[in-house]
Order: sequence, then structure tokens, then C-alpha cells
Amino acid sequence: MRGQRPTVDRLDRPSAYFNNRVSTRNEGHSTPGSRTDDGSRYPQNKRRRPGQDRRDDDDTKMQHDEPEDDPLRDATTLYVGNLSFYTTEEQVYELFSKCGEIKRLIMGLDRFNKTPCGFCFVEYYTHQDALDCMKYIGGTKLDERIIRTDLDPGFEEGRQYGRGKSGGQVRDEYREDYDEGRGGLGRAIQQAERLRDAERRDKENDHGSDHGRLR
Amino acid sequence: MADYDRRPGGDRRGYNNSKKRRYQDRPDDDEYDRRGSRRRFDAPPPHVRIRKQLLSIAENPMRPWHEEVASIANLFTDTWEEDHMLRGNFVDLVLQLAVEQPLKTPFLAAVVLVANTNRAEVVNMLLAKLVANIEARIGQGEWRDVKLYLKLLACLQSCLEGDGVFPVLEELFSRAVDLQTASSEDTIGTELVKIILLTLPYVMAAAPGQWSQKAADLMEKTEIIALEPHALQILIEPYHPENSEESSTPSSSVIKLLQTQLQSEANNGWALPCLPRPWEFPPGETEQVSKLANAAKHALPPITIPQTVVAGPRPLFPEVYFSVYGNQEVESVPSINTAAACLIRDALLDTINIMDYNRNVTARHLIEVDCFFAPRTFAARATPFDRLRDIEPPKSTWKPEDVAVDAVFSQLFQLPNPEHKLVYYHAALTEACKLAPAAIAPSLGRAIRYLYRNVHHLDMELDSRFLDWFSHHLSNFGFTWKWTEWVDDVFLPDLHPRKAFIRGAIDKEIRLSFAQRIKNTLPEAYQELVEPEMEKEMPDFKFLDDKTPFAAEGREIAALLRKKAADEEIQPVIERIHALALDNNLDPLVTSTDVFVTAVLHIGSKSLSHVLAAIERTKDRLTDAGAASDAARAQIITAVMTYWGGHPGVAISIVEKLLNYSILAPSAVINWALVRHAGETKGQALARAHIYELVFHTVIKVTTRIRQVAQKPALTPEDEAAHEAEVRSMRELFSAMEDALVAWATGAKDEMLEDGTADAEREAFIRRWGERWLRVFRRRAAIEEAFLLEAGKEREKRVATAAAAEGDGNGAEVDVELEDIA
Repeated sequence: MRGQRPTVDRLDRPSAYFNNRVSTRNEGHSTPGSRTDDGSRYPQNKRRRPGQDRRDDDDTKMQHDEPEDDPLRDATTLYVGNLSFYTTEEQVYELFSKCGEIKRLIMGLDRFNKTPCGFCFVEYYTHQDALDCMKYIGGTKLDERIIRTDLDPGFEEGRQYGRGKSGGQVRDEYREDYDEGRGGLGRAIQQAERLRDAERRDKENDHGSDHGRLR
Repeated sequence: MADYDRRPGGDRRGYNNSKKRRYQDRPDDDEYDRRGSRRRFDAPPPHVRIRKQLLSIAENPMRPWHEEVASIANLFTDTWEEDHMLRGNFVDLVLQLAVEQPLKTPFLAAVVLVANTNRAEVVNMLLAKLVANIEARIGQGEWRDVKLYLKLLACLQSCLEGDGVFPVLEELFSRAVDLQTASSEDTIGTELVKIILLTLPYVMAAAPGQWSQKAADLMEKTEIIALEPHALQILIEPYHPENSEESSTPSSSVIKLLQTQLQSEANNGWALPCLPRPWEFPPGETEQVSKLANAAKHALPPITIPQTVVAGPRPLFPEVYFSVYGNQEVESVPSINTAAACLIRDALLDTINIMDYNRNVTARHLIEVDCFFAPRTFAARATPFDRLRDIEPPKSTWKPEDVAVDAVFSQLFQLPNPEHKLVYYHAALTEACKLAPAAIAPSLGRAIRYLYRNVHHLDMELDSRFLDWFSHHLSNFGFTWKWTEWVDDVFLPDLHPRKAFIRGAIDKEIRLSFAQRIKNTLPEAYQELVEPEMEKEMPDFKFLDDKTPFAAEGREIAALLRKKAADEEIQPVIERIHALALDNNLDPLVTSTDVFVTAVLHIGSKSLSHVLAAIERTKDRLTDAGAASDAARAQIITAVMTYWGGHPGVAISIVEKLLNYSILAPSAVINWALVRHAGETKGQALARAHIYELVFHTVIKVTTRIRQVAQKPALTPEDEAAHEAEVRSMRELFSAMEDALVAWATGAKDEMLEDGTADAEREAFIRRWGERWLRVFRRRAAIEEAFLLEAGKEREKRVATAAAAEGDGNGAEVDVELEDIA
């Protein structure tokens, strides 16, 4: 059984997101430890186009299928995503303590105004607690939102800040759906809309007098 | 398999499926088609197809079992020659499924039985591995796996030579007898008997008619052990009846129920109507029927069971049969008089506890439980409870949802602890409720009402688990609950267990959300239970009000702390407080501690991180305050609990951190809660869920720490001494709790006596709370002692082994061995 593929997928495995990041790193697209693209997830975060070079990705991954030193083997930290901007540390504590005592909690902050931006890192004392959290808490609700958890090799200073252009998480830049808990529409979209609105207002002001006459 | 889907192809498929693509890029569609057809050409090799079919066996309720079984078996035997990977894979997968998805075991056995009619070799391959696995699991004390392999073996009884499984069961029984005669507190023997009794029905279903005498002989033997009440059962009884109640019948142990249920099955010709028999083919299929009847028989290789068996990694306790659907007007779950109650429960519990790594699959199996038992065992899914009474007698009124939910609750309410963290069982119920809300939610509602009605005689630990699950569950479903039906209880005194539950639940809901949100979900009568301080995100700093004594000093210290002033700057203010306190006949240390701690809390009021940083910076002074006197130590806790009075969750977290910093000792917390605070509130504190939580967490912290050390393979003399000191202080802690709680439980507490206004009702309530607390922590103490005893024995054994190895003059090997054990 041990070593055999389970008959049912396990929920305490790192996500595809993590695996992609790791293989990116293994290929050496960016220097390890570079902090240029600091952020909530992994230090190396070159934007990659999905496409042919994905193949290479997979081949490299297959070559060292079981990496000699799996950075998550004893991971006690979890990345927690899809939080509402309004969710407090205390709420996170209340829920995540159900899997074991929390050693440290780091709230993800907007890089510029230092307000919560919808993610956090939860560190437990034991690896088992972190795995249990993946299995029992990831994908359940906190503050009425489905949250996601991912095993994480450990918090490093700088990663508490959003990597998005405007300071929050990248996903909140171009989000097309309106998410009240995360500041409405994506910030870049809001910006664009504000511009458009301003232009329209200018136009309307120009033809303000025509308006009533036509109908 | 998931990896497969995540391959590049998977990604691209996802891309193509996006709306944009489908509507706008018509020309690309043929590319899509080409790839689609290419995929069709690559029909997966037989071993892949067989794996897939075995994994999902019996899941499709529309497919007759015999068809599915025959098609898998034939695909397997037809490709026996062409795909050599297949044989080993097949055997391994059957064995793996038997211990990972035990609901499917009878169906797997049926596939093997049909395969046996064409390729008899496969059974020999399977039996060889099965026997090896059973022996290995017995060696490790993995009794559940042993049981599950035996279940598979039992289902194969019809293709075994001689007496088949019976010799193994008899051998197991003789071990059980040895263990039980050696000690009345033995739990392994009980477990072995349970395994025997749970295997027997599958033998009888698999090979009907032949084995009645053998079964009767075996059951005659198991009777003595099964019916004997277990010494530890009183400890794990979920209900704690009040003295006044004419001793409500204690719950039945699972093993005792099984023995009596099977006895009546035996009297009834082993009908066992609930068990699936997928190896039975319809009479029309004469060829298959006769092939099965004349298939080769195989000798079961002997299974050696060592003379001494081990308890294994999980502590064994006797099990109590718990149900939240007992005593209903219509039977929505099997009554405890039928074997179905225990057999279905057992299969579900194994599924739930094994599958903790994927609660979605657990939930699916729970909802589809009716797929894995004989047709017509259950009523149709999602039949409303009210409709059950319209069902005509021979038809079943068992609601599959009730049976499934009941099984999860039996774990949530298992003492001393279920196999996994409680939150797993929360998650399993949440998931089931998400998958089939219309079916599951009403069942949960009825369970909640049952537990709420019985909350007053539920064991206090279980009361607290109920509270925790209830609030957590609501937080996943928009905090909707029909609070109106409990509205009368809002007007009960706070000491009433149901009122205490309501208050506790609201507090816990708020912790997972926020006060205003929860207030909006509560009917009018409940509104005042959400007190104004609970709605404030940050508590008021009492020293902002000049009427508060030492207001100026409090503000000054807060200001100093805020600008991170050196301790020397704070000291003069503290001295000033001491002097002023003496002038006013106050305890100077208590006064200064209150001012200082409150100031620290105030500057850290923004969040837990803030307060932790503030505590970190003032650690030395806080430690000194904690060491100064009992009263000062208690004042630290009082200050925290008062400042965060509206948010007990925060207060508890802070106390926990103070324990971690050793600013407080566990005994200080216990003493504060059970003597000081309980005294000041004249016992009222015992009815507050968060006080119980504070004490319980503190005790768990102590016992967890001791367990970690006790489980180390070997202790150096220094470690040993430290460990012994810790154990001593744990015992002192438990005995201090015992003293305090006995006083509350017997009404001997000063605060209860001196209370001139004799209020019999109030006094009765408080004594009852005292009793309930007492029972919880007596149990905890007993469990820890039992654990230490076992761990000590284990350590001695290891030391002895190590010494023996050293005697052989090979020191290096000792190290290796110790590490292996670790």
C-alpha cells in the first residue's frame, strides 16, 4: 500500500500551481532567491505563456520526478487564498486552530497601503497539522467564502505583500467579475472604467444641450 | 489519475472548452475534432480499463451487479495472455481497494469468484498476497486492515477448500481468550472478538447454508467476552445522566450488540437481508450459475498469528453504539436489534475513517450508501421523514441519509477521541450537505434537535463538541438556522444547559464571522444576547475614563509602550502605582499588574499580531509580574479576560500565548478559572462555554507535551528527570482540578454556602455543572495515566532490546535500531 498510488486522490498534495512554480525554478528562468517579483506565492514568478514550452516543463518534471529534496516534505506552512479583504486574523485563528495550534499567522497586505489584500500564511508547529488543514479546511468556507489552501515551503520576509501592479494580488488586477469581498471589479478594470466614465462625462457635457432636444 | 488530466493535453482542452473559443473560432473546430478522434483511437490497454472499472465498481445504481461483475471478470480473464502487467495489477488493486474502499469489498470478491471460473490461478495469486498482508498487519497491530482483509476472505469462502476462514477466526479467538483472562482491562481481546463477529456475517452470506454449525460453535465461545461489560465502558459513556433521572439505560457496547444481533440472525437462518450478494446470478443465467457452483476450490495458505499480539498505533477503547435517531415514531435507521445496524455502521465507519484524505469521496460514499447494500435495504433517497410513515410495512423505512449522518455523528461524539481531528467529521458533513442539500440538510436538522433536547445529559466534552460543530457547520451555510423554535429557551436562566448552549453557539458564530452579521440572523428575542461589547471591534480602554482609578498612570504606560520606551521609563510609573495603591489599601502588585497588562492589551488591540508583538516586547516585565504572587498571576488572566470580555475567542488565544511564553503556568489558568473566577461569579462561570474551552485547551496543552516526550524512543537521564517532573505537575494539576470541582459538585464551595439567599434551583444547576466538569477531567486524568503506563512499558521494552543488542557487543547497531524505532 505504502508507495502504491491511492485509489482516490489525496487532498493534501501541493497544487498544480506549486508544481509549475517549482519546475519554472528548476529550469533556472530566474535566479533563485531574486526578490524582484516579490509576492504572495513563490519568489520566482516569471510570467509564462501557456503553449509549447509547457512541454519542456513537463519533461523536466518527469526527469526528476521525485525531487531529491522536496521543499514541502516537512512543510508546516500553508498559503491561504481567496480570503475577503475584511476577514480578520482572529477569524483565521478561530478556523485554522481546529487543525492544531497556530505558530504564526501572517496576513497578506497591499504593498502600498498595508491593508489586508485577501491572502495569508498560516504556520503550524507540525507537518501533520498542515496536511490535515489541507484535507479538512481547504475548500471550506471562512467568512462565507470558499478559501483555498496550498502547502508552502515557508514564509520569507517580503512575501506578505501583493505582487499586483496596484499593490494587491495579481488576480485582483484584471478580475472581470464583481467580488464585493475583494474590492469589486479588478483594479485595472476599475481604472479603465474610471477613465471611460470621465471621457463620457466630458462628451455629455459638450452636448449637454442637445440631449433634451432629441428626445 | 489526476496527474493525467493535468498534462499539457488537459490544459489545452480546458482552453478549447472556453466559451470564447467555441463561439468565435469555428475554423479551429476541426483541429479539435482531429484530436478528439485521435484520443479515441488510443483505447487504453486492458489493465488501465480494468483499473478504472474496478475503482468505480457498484457506484452506478442503474447497472445490475451481476452484469458489471461479469464484464470486469471477463475482460480480465479474456486479456489474461495479452497483457502481462494485468495479473499482478489486478491482485494488488483488489487488495488495495479492500482496505481503502471497504464498501466495495463484496463486489470485488464477486469479480474474483467469476474470474476463478476461467482462470483459477488468479485466486491462488490473490490468496498468497492476502495471507502475507494479513500476517503483516497482525504484526503491526493494524487491526482494521486485518478486519478488512478478513472480510474479503470471508466473501471468498465459497471458493475455499475445507473450513475456509473458520480456522483463522478460531485462532484469533484463542488469542482473545488469553488476553482477556490476563486482564479485565484488556482491549485487544475485545477488538479481536469484534473482528470475528464482523467477519462471520460475510461468510454466512457468501456461502449460505453450510456453516451454521461452525458459526454457532464460534459464537458460543465469543459470548462470554462479548456480553461481559467492559471495565472501561463507564469512562466513555456519551451520556451523563443526572442523579434525579432514574438511571437512563446506559448505551450498549458495539460488541455486545453484535453478539445478540448475530444470535438472532442465527436463529433466523442467517438471512442477513442487508448484505449485498453480487456473486448471485439471476436463475436465467444458467451457464454462469453452474460455472460458479463448479469452480475450482483453493486451499487457504496457513496464517500464522504470533503468540503475543500488539495493540498497534491507535489506542483501543471499547466502542459504544451511538445514534441520534433513536426512539423515533418511525424507524429511520435500523433498530439496534437488527444486525444491519452494526454491519452498515461498521462499513460506513471504516469508509469515513480511512478516507480522511479526501472528504469529497467520503461524502459521495455516504450519500450513495444504498448502492453498496442489498436492494431495498433503504427507502428511496431523500424521502422526507414525514413520508416514512406512509411506507407499507414490508418495505424499508430506513433513510439512507439518516444512516449516513448517524455514522458521522457517532464519530464526532466518540469518547475519548475519534480517529481523526474533529474538524474532519465537520468537513465530511459539510461536504455531504453540499453534494445533496435537499437530502442531507433535513437529516442534520433532526440530529441537531435531538442533541439540543438532550444537551443537559450529554457528557460535557461532547456538549462542547456539539457547540463547535454546530457553529462551524452554520458558518458554511450562511448562518441559517431556525432559531425561532428555541425562542422560549432564551428566557431560561443562564445556568440552564440549553441557554448556555445558545450563548456559546452565538459566541462561536461571531468568532467565525462578526457580531452584526450574526445579529442579523437572529430573531428579536435573541438580540440582547449579542451584547454591546461584542459588537465593538476593539474594546474600550478603561483608563481613558478619568473616573477609573489609576487612569492617568494607565494612559501614561500605554503612551510609553506605544513609543517603545525603555523599561526604565516605565518603572517609575509602576512605582507610583505601588505607592498610590498602598495609600488606598490595595494590593500594589495586583494593581500595577492590572494597569500594565491592560495597557499592553490596549496597544495590541488592533489584531492578534499586534498584541503578540506587544507581549513579546514586554515579556520580561510580564514574566516578573507572573512570578510575583498568586494574586498578581491571577490578575494577568483577569485583565485579559476582562479586556477581551466581549470576544472570548481572542482572550483565549492570548492566554494560550502567555502559556507558551511561560508567563503563565497551566496551574495558574486552572486556578483562575475553577477557583477564583468561578468563585467570584458564584459558580456561574462553570456554565460558560468559553471558560470550559480555556480550561480544556490548557489541559490538552499539558498532556500533549507530556505525550510527546513519553513517546520518544529513549530518554537521557536528564530528560527522564524533566519528564518525571512534568508528569508530577500534571498529576498535581489534575488533583487541583479534582478538589475544586468536587467542591462545586457537592455544593461544599464557600461561595455556594455563604450565599444567604438560598436558591435551591440555582444551587442544583451549579452542582450539576460541577459534576459534568468533574467527569470530563477525571476521564482525561485516567486516560493520561493509562497512556503513560503503556508508553513506559514500550520504552522499557526498547531499552531492554537495546541493552540486549549491546550485550552482543555491537553498539553501533543499537543506534541504528533506536532510530528505526523513532
